[in-house]
Amino acid sequence: MDIDDILREVDPIFHDIPQEQRDLQELTRAWVAERSAPELLPWPANGLFERINANIKTQIEKVEELTGDMDPKTNFALIVIQTELERYRYLVRSYLRARLAKIDRHALHYLSTDALRARLSDAELAYATRHQALLHNHYLSSFLSSFPANLQNLNDSAAGISMIETPDLESAVFIRLLKDTPVEGRGVDADGAMDGRESDIVILRWSDAKPLVEAGSAELV
Amino acid sequence: MPMYGDLGNKLVQHAKRTQNLAHLPPYQTELVRAVTREVRDLDKDVASLLEPFQGSFDPSADQPTACTLLVNHLSIRRNKRCLLAYHRTRTDKLEELVWNGSDVLDLAGQQAGGANGASAADGGASSSLSPQEEDYVRQYGDLLAAYKGQWTDIDLTGSLEPPRDLFIDVRVLKDAGEIQTEYGAINLTKNSQFYVRQGDVERLIAQGYLQKLG
Repeated sequence: MDIDDILREVDPIFHDIPQEQRDLQELTRAWVAERSAPELLPWPANGLFERINANIKTQIEKVEELTGDMDPKTNFALIVIQTELERYRYLVRSYLRARLAKIDRHALHYLSTDALRARLSDAELAYATRHQALLHNHYLSSFLSSFPANLQNLNDSAAGISMIETPDLESAVFIRLLKDTPVEGRGVDADGAMDGRESDIVILRWSDAKPLVEAGSAELV
Repeated sequence: MPMYGDLGNKLVQHAKRTQNLAHLPPYQTELVRAVTREVRDLDKDVASLLEPFQGSFDPSADQPTACTLLVNHLSIRRNKRCLLAYHRTRTDKLEELVWNGSDVLDLAGQQAGGANGASAADGGASSSLSPQEEDYVRQYGDLLAAYKGQWTDIDLTGSLEPPRDLFIDVRVLKDAGEIQTEYGAINLTKNSQFYVRQGDVERLIAQGYLQKLG
């Protein structure tokens, strides 16, 4: 992906590029963002993964059709398709696993409010709920059940410290600006501000970068 | 005389050590039991300390008792966290093994000399997993299979290395029998070398039958 892709994505005139190509761009961007962001990002709601799944299925069928054809000319096409397929699969797999790792790490946090739950796909929600239930059960049968009843919770917030860990929203991320926009960042000693130009790359706290990314003025790299 | 929290500390040390090990060390049944007992004893202490006050305890009027109560409470909570941390570290490790597709229950039995793991918790010839952990592994395996089932075309447990080449050189480390590929059947006998499609043999590499070359 290069800067042209980004411009095309932002500029509505270019929207006559094929759906498949846009899906791939979107997947790649979601994948990069998910891997850099310290917290779970919302699951793409526009049916992206349904389309991707369908595409992968079609390509697998095509591969099966072409298999057995030993003519070197068409055989080469087969290898290209298979290579592309492997890469596509890798993107989806890596994306899903990056999400799952975050969900596993802070399961109770992501299950705690409706707004956070909405970021998960249905399958992820089912997975997280069940996984948490399994863990709790495991703790219960291993030691928690012999605790006094008032100490059996996993979500105490005694003495002002909640037992539920949350992702560190203050960790640093790299973003690339997609348009000219002022950037403000909070520092330890002093805050900083700058007039960002398009395609500038900035490092700042995720909590400061998030509004820019959500507004589409920047993307994670 | 051992202090409150000493045992919990030991558990945390075990957990810390586990993080850097390739295999899972034996479950500390005795230690877990002892820490749990300490929690119950402390809780009883708290109850008996509070009993004479009939629910109208004023911390500022009786500071020594208030201090004892505080220490007891903190020790209880600390022990609880130690136990949670210990178990979570182990389940994380177990989940990792499940993801890698290794047969965890089998593996644990082998490490401990091939004994049946479910039967005993103490002694040298038992599984390094507690019976609860064995249940957990089984259930987590089911859960993972269910989630994976929604992504059958992706092979979610596949390699997380970006694919570079469609075909790779592999050496066979253990006899793996015959496998079917779209280019025909290959007989994988020990010490032989093949040029195969990565997707066809990924599983076998993960399970240690094949070694990727180059």
